[in-house]
Amino acid sequence: MALQLLLNIFLAFTWMFLGNSFTVGSLFGGYLAGLLMIFMMRRFFPQRFYLLNVIAAIKLVLLFIKELILSNIEIFKIILRPKLDMTPGIFALPTDLEKDWEITMLANLITLTPGTLVLDISDDRKTLYIHAMDLQSVEESIEGIKNSFEKAIKEVSR
Amino acid sequence: MKTNDLILQTITKIAIFIILAFSLHLFFAGHYTPGGGFIGGLMTAAALVLLLLAFDAKTVKKIFPFDFIKVAALGLLIAVLTGMGAFLFDVPFLTHTFGYFDIPILGHTGLATAVLFDIGVYLVVIGVTMTIIQTIGEDE
Repeated sequence: MALQLLLNIFLAFTWMFLGNSFTVGSLFGGYLAGLLMIFMMRRFFPQRFYLLNVIAAIKLVLLFIKELILSNIEIFKIILRPKLDMTPGIFALPTDLEKDWEITMLANLITLTPGTLVLDISDDRKTLYIHAMDLQSVEESIEGIKNSFEKAIKEVSR
Repeated sequence: MKTNDLILQTITKIAIFIILAFSLHLFFAGHYTPGGGFIGGLMTAAALVLLLLAFDAKTVKKIFPFDFIKVAALGLLIAVLTGMGAFLFDVPFLTHTFGYFDIPILGHTGLATAVLFDIGVYLVVIGVTMTIIQTIGEDE
């Protein structure tokens, strides 16, 4: 990912110097040309073509916005109920993410969606302890998070 | 009991660059827009304090192996020397000049000797702030 991006920027600058016109437009044209070259040579890189990672990152942002709106509506419903019949609880979420930034990203995404809140990370970084405002069933919550956020983050760092 | 500070440390590693960039921007913005040596120095010190909070004093000492009292002294020395520099041109103490120069890459740039004085202020603020915080922090 980083290697391909650096190579692409290098190719853009090479393009600019070959054309001898030092403008932003020329640099952008070189960037697009370099993107095409890297796409043709994608078999030779250890990682996959890096535009796919960029698309995955954009998908993650869109997913987060969707989840934010949906869970805000859920919390809104709970607040406006005359009777308080929610069941708060704490559950442990086993995670297979390994890198520091992945775990941080997952924890922040869980915290920023209302209704769930990350309390702590275990010392071996395998478990996240999450407080839920309205915990219907533990398995359902774990499945929900695993299928949405964790999958999207794995897709970004593949 | 030691907790796992994973999130704080990861975010700090990213945020520290943004804070340092902003503090340098404030430092150089001081001539025509709000900013300057004092607030730039405070922001840089704030970045170091964030490092102290997320990691520990030993790590910060490893990254910035300076004696902060000496940093403050160096800043004062620079400020005084820029003031004395005015004597070389037979003008009163602390007189500063500015001029426009054509630098090859940057083009038409205004350079002022007040920036040199500002560097002194910047270093004094960093040195004093960090000395205060480290002295309080090391009282076990």
